[in-house]
Amino acid sequence: MTVGERIPRVDAVEKVTGAAVYGSDVALAGMLHGAVLRSPHPHARIVSIDVSRARRAPGVAAVVTGRDFPFTFGSAVKDQPFLAIDRVRYVGEPVVAVAADTERRAQEALDLIDVEYEALPAVFDLRDALADGAPLVHPDLHTYERGSHQIVPHSNVNTLYHFERGDLAAGFAAADLVVEEEYTAQALSHAALETHASVAVWNPIRGDYTLWVSTDRPFHLRDELAGALGVPSTKVRLVVGYVGGSFGGKNTLVSEAVAVALARHAGGRPVRVGFSREEDLTTSQLRVPAILRLKTGATSDGILLAQSADILWGSGAYTSNTVGVAVRGAQSVVGPYRTPNVAITSRQVYTNTPVTGSYRGYGVTQVTWACESQMDEIARRLGIDPLEVRLRNAYEEGDPFLNGQIMRGVNVRESLERAAEQIGWGSVERPPAPHLRRGKGIAALIKPTATPTSSNCVIEVQEDGEVVVSCSAPEIGSGQATVLAQMAADTIGVSLDRVTIVPTDTASSPYNGPVASSRTTFHVGNAIRLAGGEVRAEILRVAAGKLGADPDLLDLRDGTVYEGSQARISLAELLGGPAFSGRSVIGSARYSSAGSPLLKAEPGLEWMSSIFWMVGAHAAEVEVDLETGVVRVVAVAAAHDVGRAINPVTCEQQIEGGVVMGLSNALFEQLHSDEGRIGNGSFTDYKIATIQDTPRIVPIIVESEHPEAPFGAKGIGEPAAAATPPAIANALCDALGIRIRDLPLAAERVLEALLAARDEENGSAPGGGEPP
Amino acid sequence: MIPIDFTVNGEERRIEVEPNTTVLEALREVLHLTGTKEGCGVGECGTCTVLLDGSPVVSCLLLAGDVAGRDVTTVEGLAVDGALDEVQRAFVAAGAVQCGFCTPAMVLVVEALLASGAQPTREAAAAALGGVLCRCGSYPKVLDAVAALTGGAT
Repeated sequence: MTVGERIPRVDAVEKVTGAAVYGSDVALAGMLHGAVLRSPHPHARIVSIDVSRARRAPGVAAVVTGRDFPFTFGSAVKDQPFLAIDRVRYVGEPVVAVAADTERRAQEALDLIDVEYEALPAVFDLRDALADGAPLVHPDLHTYERGSHQIVPHSNVNTLYHFERGDLAAGFAAADLVVEEEYTAQALSHAALETHASVAVWNPIRGDYTLWVSTDRPFHLRDELAGALGVPSTKVRLVVGYVGGSFGGKNTLVSEAVAVALARHAGGRPVRVGFSREEDLTTSQLRVPAILRLKTGATSDGILLAQSADILWGSGAYTSNTVGVAVRGAQSVVGPYRTPNVAITSRQVYTNTPVTGSYRGYGVTQVTWACESQMDEIARRLGIDPLEVRLRNAYEEGDPFLNGQIMRGVNVRESLERAAEQIGWGSVERPPAPHLRRGKGIAALIKPTATPTSSNCVIEVQEDGEVVVSCSAPEIGSGQATVLAQMAADTIGVSLDRVTIVPTDTASSPYNGPVASSRTTFHVGNAIRLAGGEVRAEILRVAAGKLGADPDLLDLRDGTVYEGSQARISLAELLGGPAFSGRSVIGSARYSSAGSPLLKAEPGLEWMSSIFWMVGAHAAEVEVDLETGVVRVVAVAAAHDVGRAINPVTCEQQIEGGVVMGLSNALFEQLHSDEGRIGNGSFTDYKIATIQDTPRIVPIIVESEHPEAPFGAKGIGEPAAAATPPAIANALCDALGIRIRDLPLAAERVLEALLAARDEENGSAPGGGEPP
Repeated sequence: MIPIDFTVNGEERRIEVEPNTTVLEALREVLHLTGTKEGCGVGECGTCTVLLDGSPVVSCLLLAGDVAGRDVTTVEGLAVDGALDEVQRAFVAAGAVQCGFCTPAMVLVVEALLASGAQPTREAAAAALGGVLCRCGSYPKVLDAVAALTGGAT
């Protein structure tokens, strides 16, 4: 058996040899290369576009404007054009696309395009966007095709959500302490090392499109494209190889939108569109920024009685897939705690800034930042250990969620205790120098998975005993190919090296929901369990017939059929046979969480249930330089309840990688913009964590029981980054006594807070500290 | 177009390219060695690292003409007849690979570090690898791989 073992990843050899083929590596015969002319204005009317010179430029095969390809897309609100139509709404919006025989020539042709704009009033700040009389980014929002969520017509509010349970006023009235503060979480770039890239080809005879893309949701993109173009989904085919990192960023139409528009006008030639790093960092969907006002009431013992959250989110110029962030993501603002009286209000606004969307955690990184900062403030105000306050309120097995769903497999307590233990909670480290201070902090989190969703799987045991698993779960880096292969091998009874997880091709692969929301191990794993069980049973029936044995007495292990302890026949012998007469054994299955009894909740609120819940806790130790404000993270212990680890190595990778990303988000990352223009679209100016910023990380795998999980496994990828930033901020507060409520915790911000605190101590007016 | 003669993975090659062709473009588009990846194209992420006469360089900042007569090693040049070398084996064993897009660069930097005979501390190994970005955060296990190769503590 391989489940539970530290098995090397099945994709590792291809990746250390350079043999792995990514979406950005795809090159086809006759392929053209695309380039994009982008809007220099945050908000403007397009008066005219003259592409005549560009069309005549050397090597140019197609020039396309929004009028040439007048379609819009958007899974929640159909508001986004492939290329701007009559109006631009953010700096960097694609306006004209060019395809030429080389990328250089395509880029050069952009200089020959003349666009005349008439500037319109623009809005950048989230609060300004809410104000009466604010410029409307989409005056016609109420006329757009959209889902069932609430909007505010004739405003910039594209998502409105409110939830209430219990008696909030009574809860606050009974509280001994009420803390109310505002926290902000910044926009972030996903910064996957592989930038957005895709190849699209339009077949003029069949009128269909084929795309080779790096995405984590092939079927979603297929349907989104087909819906936008008004064609049946069979007219759009997506082929997905290895994905060079996604983190939520490669799940909507980004380079794909441009590639499809060009392909439609390229006469059947394939067109590749690969974004530059600057395009990738600044205009390719960012994390949704948020302003979170949080108010919490507690007893003097630190028992939570009431919490209200008022969250303002920013979708940027188009809605993309942010609605779920503002609705589903917002629900995690209560943290993994039993709070009886709760009110959550989410508003999301358009601004004239780049499009935002899902980012690892789908809203949970933002709300965890607020919730866990506030939990610490409560603990400190009450004089109770921050770990203890959390333990007193933590969800226990069988507690109800906000909607009454009984939660199974929520080991918050062990996560908190083990993370605290590994960081040396309670002990004070001596700083190595007088200008340094050290502190420790802890934070916990809770995250649902998208529910209900489904996965399908087809398993073929070929005549030579090789097992081919088709389940449409692209390997985006998080190790799903490995854990899925392990589950298939163990379910069927073959060795791992006989199992291949084939790449996804929507024309021939079975439907799967997205590789997102940490749902793959659980959902696809369940489909594999079912389909694998089917092929195993069929193999044993075939073997019983051939051997004249009772199938109930046969067993399949390591690709060999056993009767008792006696090896009877190998799979190749069983299924092979003489020339032209081999046999495949094929099984297929679907798993859907819909209708599971585990989702039962209060009437009308079942949609808030999650088929499994992910919880965890991170504890951090930091060292702060009092002279410079530089924060160095010394160590992070990160504990996550994964249900059961199918492969501890891939779980550790997700936890360690999540901590590195969370640390990077917390300390370094900020897009600096002026009037909607981002000025730091490079890795020199948008710093992400390097190997030298990596602290000692202790990944801790916590296990729990879940009745519907395949081999007991839940998910781990998405929640892993969310608890690190508040753990660092809480450690910073432990070190300095200073609470910073805005991200990132950049040195200049920390230093400013230190100087302000010194001024306050000295009794002078803020800002009057150091002489010039 | 100009002709350039250089050695790639032990093989002498002649290519004909425009003078402004980078080594990265020559490797990927002319020689079809796509194991070398582009992460930024401006020398900031290290993803396109190759070894030039044994030393790590970012191939996006070098013109093909710069490597005339010199020796370039890419990730494709490491395994012999499909057998991984020790650095590749260490990466697989340590779990140092996630999405894998930075992996060729990471592996090559460690090759050079090892060839130098260094017995780096964890900090020194991190300094050597500081120019290669990884958004997956494979860093701890990359350092574990180096430690396993050099007999250091993980």
